[in-house]
Amino acid sequence: MSMIMSEPVPIQDANTPAGMLEGDLVKRARRGDLAAYDELVQRYQQRIYATVYHMTANHEDANDIAQESFIKAFQALKSFRGGSSFYTWLYRIAVNKTINFLKQRKNKNHFSLNDIDFNAENDPDLVALTSDKTPFRAVGLTELQKKLNEALMKLSEPHRMVVVLHDVQGQSHDEIAEIMDCNIGTVRSRLFYARQQLQGYLAEYAKPA
Amino acid sequence: MNENDNNFAELKQLLKLKRHEVPPPGYFDHFASDVTSRIRAGEAGGQRTFTERLEAEAPWAVSFLRIFETRPGVIGAFATCVCLLLVSVVVHSSRADKAARLAMSIPSSTSVAGSPMASMTAPALVAASDSSGIVASTNPVTSLEPVSTLFAQPGSGSLFQPAGFGVPAH
Repeated sequence: MSMIMSEPVPIQDANTPAGMLEGDLVKRARRGDLAAYDELVQRYQQRIYATVYHMTANHEDANDIAQESFIKAFQALKSFRGGSSFYTWLYRIAVNKTINFLKQRKNKNHFSLNDIDFNAENDPDLVALTSDKTPFRAVGLTELQKKLNEALMKLSEPHRMVVVLHDVQGQSHDEIAEIMDCNIGTVRSRLFYARQQLQGYLAEYAKPA
Repeated sequence: MNENDNNFAELKQLLKLKRHEVPPPGYFDHFASDVTSRIRAGEAGGQRTFTERLEAEAPWAVSFLRIFETRPGVIGAFATCVCLLLVSVVVHSSRADKAARLAMSIPSSTSVAGSPMASMTAPALVAASDSSGIVASTNPVTSLEPVSTLFAQPGSGSLFQPAGFGVPAH
């Protein structure tokens, strides 16, 4: 009989930054408490980094922009009125920074792609996609990754952002509308158009069922 | 929307691949500390660069300067404008200087009419002149040549120059 060993869950003290609610951490960070802000960074670093990375397709650029977004957010904390969640507000800063960066970079795409993790080979969706019955059968995951990133980079920044936030990051239409400061209808239409475009770019591989 | 989602089912499956693109192992171990140390370094003594301070305090100035970064032609046009402005200021100031000098000469010549010198007769003027016999004139161009006039005293050998009372045209 095998035993399932689970890692012990650390008990978090509500008085330490790790055990605090987001609102309390934000209040403390506004007063200049860097330990509180460190905790906020740890909570959102992966999501912010991933969004910027998927938009730029470059690890080094994503690292710089993500760090600068957190620094700018700290400097601007005094202007944060709490009208939206800190998370949405932080996302908005990162999104704006990324779009500004991409506009300055224009069409000079320089890929620096991260490796695909080992779990990808066991992902049922990806396994199904690369099985013998699909057009992807002849293409390895690495090649597929390259083609997908090339296709994504052909989209305009707002369209790419919607695809990244919805189809990659799993954000809802409402959240995306709030982050991108537009209405839900715009988010839906951008998503539809972006998917159509992507399907066209990847026509060789992704054919509608 | 569901129908649309079905149309893009394969694409959505493919996009899942992006979720498996991860940064090198241990990358996030130092991310937060890097951010906070950069914040500390920035706070430690106002080490923000001039550009950063300018960006925070006068973003309009930064965006103005960025115009020059992207359009070299604008720099040339701006420099030409500055040069033209400088030249026009120099020319205008020299003209204004001349006009001021002329304006200064007008009251001195007109005031002569009411001055005690005006009521003097020519011999008195001669008497009032200095020992060399040169009469002070309001004419800026002083001539030392002897002038033969009706008022010249024969044999006195004095030099006499009539005062100019003409009002210069503006």
